[in-house]
Formats: sequence, structure tokens, C-alpha cells
Amino acid sequence: MNIHASIRAMLPLAAADALDAEEMRQVEQHVRSCDECRRELDTWGVYTAGLQRLPQPSVPVHLIARTQEQVLREHEHSATLRSGSLMFSGLAIYAWVVNIALWGVARVVTGGKLCVLGTNLLSLETWLLVSFIVGGTTAVTAALALKHHGELGRNL
Amino acid sequence: MMGPFGASPRIRIVMILAASMNSNLFASIEDAVERLQRGDRNALAPIMENYQHRLYRFLLRLIQDPVVAEDIFQHTWLRVMEKIGSYDIRRNFDGWLFSVARNLAIDHLRKRRDSSLDANDDSGSAPIDRLSASGASPLEHLLEFERGAVLAAAISGLPLIHREILTLRFEEDMKLDEIADVVAIPISTVKSRLGRALESLRRRLERP
Repeated sequence: MNIHASIRAMLPLAAADALDAEEMRQVEQHVRSCDECRRELDTWGVYTAGLQRLPQPSVPVHLIARTQEQVLREHEHSATLRSGSLMFSGLAIYAWVVNIALWGVARVVTGGKLCVLGTNLLSLETWLLVSFIVGGTTAVTAALALKHHGELGRNL
Repeated sequence: MMGPFGASPRIRIVMILAASMNSNLFASIEDAVERLQRGDRNALAPIMENYQHRLYRFLLRLIQDPVVAEDIFQHTWLRVMEKIGSYDIRRNFDGWLFSVARNLAIDHLRKRRDSSLDANDDSGSAPIDRLSASGASPLEHLLEFERGAVLAAAISGLPLIHREILTLRFEEDMKLDEIADVVAIPISTVKSRLGRALESLRRRLERP
């Protein structure tokens, strides 16, 4: 590519002020002696000037207010979810502490034996199994109830 | 006779006041971003007000549908609230915000699929002589709005990658490195893409 062609290829970027100092210097030097490239650069200048003066859209009325409202609503919803999760975690820990304590007390009171249908309910495995079943069922029921409550709240 | 820098004292005072207001504005936005990052929700309003016009304009140029642009505008701020904790305060907030908005816009366009991200080059055009009048004659001023509309229409027919580069460079007045940050491409690619976008725009306008 000769110098004329390579400079010509740089003209759009020169008009867009997107060349580095050395490239800009080459362009300036060339257009001083080349009428064709000077005219071309002027034309690109008209385009880039036009691009800086495009008709501006106006922001719809209330867009900011609506957005702020939505952001706050979302933030509150997340905060509610976070506090709900914290509360559930706290309750779960509390329930397990009480459960283990109750197991200890029951073992002391009964001497470690409480047989129902031939199964010792106070053996660690049975106690844990029953606790998991009862606790899990309660948690699922509570979660479904809360979800239903939340949907009702949103619909009201 | 007054030289270019020999403004009257009153004008100089106005210029100093304007400059200080401008620097205060920038300081307060940075401050607001830091406050928002620390969890102060009240800091969101000044940030949003500061960027509303630029962000909405950018999204509108990308999406070309005012209703969807509004929707993405709202999602952008929701995403900002979600991600502000991981925002690096040393990074340019403009670049970060515009890249969040851009990613959401691109996701939307990908889902929509009817708008190609990189090809679209055959809708209406206008003669170059409506655009290229030089000088500042009264006619030039009268035609300015019309030329702007012609140019805006031509831009809307360009592929998204060209529209975004043109709007970031000429409307947002971003430097090449800032554009590279928003679009997540190397500066050399920004440069070549900008050149191609301008050539493509000119071809559309000069088409008979």
C-alpha cells in the first residue's frame, strides 16, 4: 500500500480523533500536500461533527421514579428473604439443641430404654431418624405455608 | 479588543463557578458511589439522576425500542444494586455502569434473535448532499435538525457492534481505552471497529 492509500485509510479515524500522535502527525503532513485527502478529511469531519450533534431522546417521564421504586421494592424483598433465612437457620439450630438436650434428659429419666413396637426410641440412630423425619416434614410444611402466604401478600 | 483568554472579570467568575460546580458534581458522584457500596440506599438517587440521560440514550441506540430500553434501564439499576458490592472503586464507574447496561441489552437482543448483532445493512438511505453542507449559513442551521434525523436513521440501520461504538465515541465522548473497557475488547479492535463503523455509515448515506 502506498503512503497515499495508507493515509486515506486513516482519515475516518483522524476525524474521529482516534489516532495516536505519530499517526496524526503523518496524516497532517500528508494532507498539507494532498488536496484529495484534505477534502476527504473535511468530509469525514462533517460526519463526525454530525455524530456529535444527533437528536437527543428525552428520558420518559417518571422513569427515574419508577426505577427507584422498583429498586427499593426489590431491595426490601431481598432483605425480607435474608431475614427469613436467618430466622429459619436460628430456629433450626435452636430446635436441634433442644432435641439433643431432650434426648439426654429422656435417657437419664428412662435409664436409656423406651421401647415402642420392639424398637428402642432412645437409641441414637432411631432418635436421629425420627428427628430428621419430624423436622424435615415440619420445615417443608412451613416453607410451603410461607410461600403461599407470600403469594397471597403479593396478590393482595 | 479582547483576546481569546481575556474574558471580562464577570465572565471569569462565571467560568470559575461553573468549573467548581462541575468538579463538585464529579466529587459527589464518586462519593455517592462509595456510599452506595457501603450500603447507603439514599446514594442511589443522585447517581441515577446523573446518568439517566446518558444511560437511556445509550440503551435506546442499542435496542432501538423505547419500551424495551426503559425495561433494560430499570434492570440495569437492579443489577447495579446487586453487583455494587463487587465493584472495584478504582475502576471508572462510567465504564462499569455502561458495561452492565450493555451486557443486559445484548442478552435481550440474543434472546429476541430477530435483531442480528452483527449484520443489517439494507434499509433506507439519504443523499450525501443533505449532510455535507459546510460552513455555518442560516440554511445550514435550518437543516441541522433534518440532517441529524437523517444521520440517526442511518445509524439505526447499522449492526449493533457499530452502533454501540459510534454512540460511545461520539455521544458519550469516551476515549478508546474507555470504550475497550465497556465493550470488553482490545483497543486495537475498538479502533478498527470504529473505522469500519464510520465507513459503513458513510456508505449508507452516500448510497443513491
